[in-house]
Amino acid sequence: MSNNRTKTASLTVSGMTCASCVAHVEDALKGVKGVSQVRVNLATSKAAVDYVPLEASLAAMKEAVDDMGYELVLDNVNLQVTGMQCSSCVDHIETALRELPGVSKVAVNLASGNARVEFAPEITPLSEIKKTVQELGYQVADQVGGTEAVDREREARQREIRRQLTNMLIAWPIGIIIMIGTFQPYWILPSIVPEWMNNKIFLFLLTTPIVFGPGRQFFINSWNGLKRGLTDMNLLYATGIGAAYFIAVINTFFPDAGFGGREATFYEAAALLTAFIILGRYLEAVTRGRTSEAIRRLMKLQPKRARVLRDGQELDISAEEVELEDIVAVRPGEAIPVDGVVMEGYSAVDQSMITGESMPVEKKAGDEAIGGTINKTGAFKLRATRVGKDTALAQIIKLVEDAQTTKAPIQRVADKVAGHFILGVHALSLVVFLFWFFIGFGLWFSPTSHLLLTPYTLMGMGVFGFALLVSVTVLVISCPCAVGLATPSAIMAGSGKGAEYGILFKGADAIESTSKVQVVVFDKTGTLTKGQPSVTDVLAVSGVDELEVLRLASAAEKNSEHPLGEAIIRGAHARGLEPQDATSFQAIPGHGVEASLDGRQILLGNRRLMADRGVAMDGLLDEAERLEHQGKTVMLVALNGKASGLVAVADTLKETSAEAVRALHDMGIQVAMITGDNLRTAQAIARQAGIDRVLAEVLPEDKAREVKKLQDEGKQVSMVGDGINDAPALAQANVGIAIGSGTDVAKETGNVILIKDDLMDVVAAIQVGRATMRLVKQNLWWAFGYNTAAIPLASGILYPLFAQVVSPEVAALLMATSSLSVTLNTLRMKGYVPPIRRQTLPTAPGEARPVLAGSR
Amino acid sequence: MRTRGAGFYSAVIYTAVSLSVAAIFFVLATTIGYDWVARIGGAAWVFMLCMIVLMPIVTPVVKRRFEKD
Repeated sequence: MSNNRTKTASLTVSGMTCASCVAHVEDALKGVKGVSQVRVNLATSKAAVDYVPLEASLAAMKEAVDDMGYELVLDNVNLQVTGMQCSSCVDHIETALRELPGVSKVAVNLASGNARVEFAPEITPLSEIKKTVQELGYQVADQVGGTEAVDREREARQREIRRQLTNMLIAWPIGIIIMIGTFQPYWILPSIVPEWMNNKIFLFLLTTPIVFGPGRQFFINSWNGLKRGLTDMNLLYATGIGAAYFIAVINTFFPDAGFGGREATFYEAAALLTAFIILGRYLEAVTRGRTSEAIRRLMKLQPKRARVLRDGQELDISAEEVELEDIVAVRPGEAIPVDGVVMEGYSAVDQSMITGESMPVEKKAGDEAIGGTINKTGAFKLRATRVGKDTALAQIIKLVEDAQTTKAPIQRVADKVAGHFILGVHALSLVVFLFWFFIGFGLWFSPTSHLLLTPYTLMGMGVFGFALLVSVTVLVISCPCAVGLATPSAIMAGSGKGAEYGILFKGADAIESTSKVQVVVFDKTGTLTKGQPSVTDVLAVSGVDELEVLRLASAAEKNSEHPLGEAIIRGAHARGLEPQDATSFQAIPGHGVEASLDGRQILLGNRRLMADRGVAMDGLLDEAERLEHQGKTVMLVALNGKASGLVAVADTLKETSAEAVRALHDMGIQVAMITGDNLRTAQAIARQAGIDRVLAEVLPEDKAREVKKLQDEGKQVSMVGDGINDAPALAQANVGIAIGSGTDVAKETGNVILIKDDLMDVVAAIQVGRATMRLVKQNLWWAFGYNTAAIPLASGILYPLFAQVVSPEVAALLMATSSLSVTLNTLRMKGYVPPIRRQTLPTAPGEARPVLAGSR
Repeated sequence: MRTRGAGFYSAVIYTAVSLSVAAIFFVLATTIGYDWVARIGGAAWVFMLCMIVLMPIVTPVVKRRFEKD
């Protein structure tokens, strides 16, 4: 039952498995302020919630459910929004959408024109979300994926760039003529410029098309915003241009009105103000276009055609039509169309564009091949295992796109500040006007005073004209128009740069978090080490043969997928043994395995397992300790409850492990290692790698807790692991880095994915993160600091001393300069190379480099 | 209907406040003895800036009041 105030929503909750889960979810939701009743249905995974919209928010409900370990499943939509000009537009859209009852999260990106909305369609349908955005005066469309999205986005960017370029081609030439005509009586111009160019009617006729042509967009956008009670930067521009034009027209046709007379017509102010603002808009449009270059280059790697064998025939089809399990033929020089496994043939494949490996990689039967890479020399056939949007390349593109559409926390702050800044600027403009009108003009005005950088004197200007001039200048100079671009353009450049080196940031917040890392925790097996251990020692108790120990161990591990188990199988094969099939097998996480063979019980594992099962290993422990001191992993073997022997396995460090740890230390980052291995083995490996802190004998389920302990020390912690096994720890860490993902991009948890199996990329990821955030802060300074420093100047603070005021067109010049600064600063990221990679850049001509590094 | 009502009342409030401020300005400027261009032009500019400042402040407050009721 719902009354006028209470509404009912049916929400989807995932993760519930039993009645107690139902009770937990109900309790959690009832604890949200404004929720009166909750009825959860386990069978349908639905929660019917009675709530008061003004009091209970969807975001609070989601937080309550998620905190209990379940998930309130909401829809996510990416919308393409056009018509946004500045960060206050971003703020308007986000504020309006957040007010919708069914919207939990909104992130709008000015640079990409994308709005990502998390919402409950049962409460607020998508159509209402779109309608809300349209009512604000913007156009909105569903964002499509893939090539179509990039083409559409590129067309929209090109249209915007062309539009602003056309406006510039109108405003600038005419503006320059107006400026020359205005200053005709001064300096050497009377001898060069004809007098009629200073005629006010002539100047009026030239200025009017600029103000109502290229300048019209500001008046229209301002009006659209004001109708909804919103103020944005267009209003600042419209006020400035309108006021300058208005004074000029009054002084032309009504020179005795007291605005300064015929000699104080500010036509050049109105014209150049328009021209400079449009220049800023043009630069912003160009910057937005350039920074999504990374995605465009990735898209270009996607092959268009494929050669498929079907019904004995070889067909040339579109790559999009390849189906799973299709046999695809690849000839020398061709791009591999989809991900797959090589069935027959042999070749060398250039994978540099995806993984950054400069040397071609050999591919033979059984090897995985990545779609988008180039087949060099041989021909082969592969069986398609991933097609369409599931290929590694498609997933990488999606990750980079997603990273560019999310918001860094710093950007949310900047957008919020910019939104309130506009209001503050208008209030300041009012205060400045009142001051100069009632106090300042009477105290300090001098008819011989000048406009800064112009020969204009203010003779004949009355109190209203002067106060209005200063007020308008404050409006124009304070405009933080580059703020909306400062952070997103830097984030786009950073995420694109990361992708060039096989580093995929899953969101702008991942970039920001990565830059703040203080401790890096490495998983041992497979991360620091090669993960390909091999059997080094087999010892048996007296009366037992060593080969028998290995035979028992291999039988117990035959069905195991653990790297140590696989090492034992390889070791058995190497010694001529064929592992038998155990009749039963059970893995005991953190302990070992238990298996049955020919009616006998085999235990293979660590001391903990033997102690739990009451197996005495006295005779072997000294040997085990000796081997562990050498950095080996020892597995004890028991048969029918009696010790049989032990198998020692050694896993070597990767070539780059020690160097990566050293580089992290040089960056001031602490390094720790976490492993389920025993302490002695772990310490030996840590010594070799140069790691100072070891967390050993940690059960898989406790890895996340160890990470949390480090976080409780107040540190920003990054966990590096292979993703699949370390998911909880990766999720717990401030930054989870999944390494060596290769083609399994979608499976990896964590915030950063490293495609290559190279620890140096961990260092590079942190360096890219730091460089990106440095860029963000620099851009914000150019956007905010520049103009903020100029506000006192614009408000006339130096006028009593120097009898000079800033003119509106100089204010516009400063404002356009801040946009230019942000643009140029962001473009510097193009040439950035992470310091750790500068040593490995190829110097020989013709040597392969990643395509995305801009070498092609 | 409620939203329109909220919009109307918001407009009444911020327009009234802006007109009041502009009127105070006009009276002050007249008392001091400024010419009619300064008085009327200044009052118009003050009115416009007040409207711009007050619109985004008043409108959401009134809307929230309406939704509560």
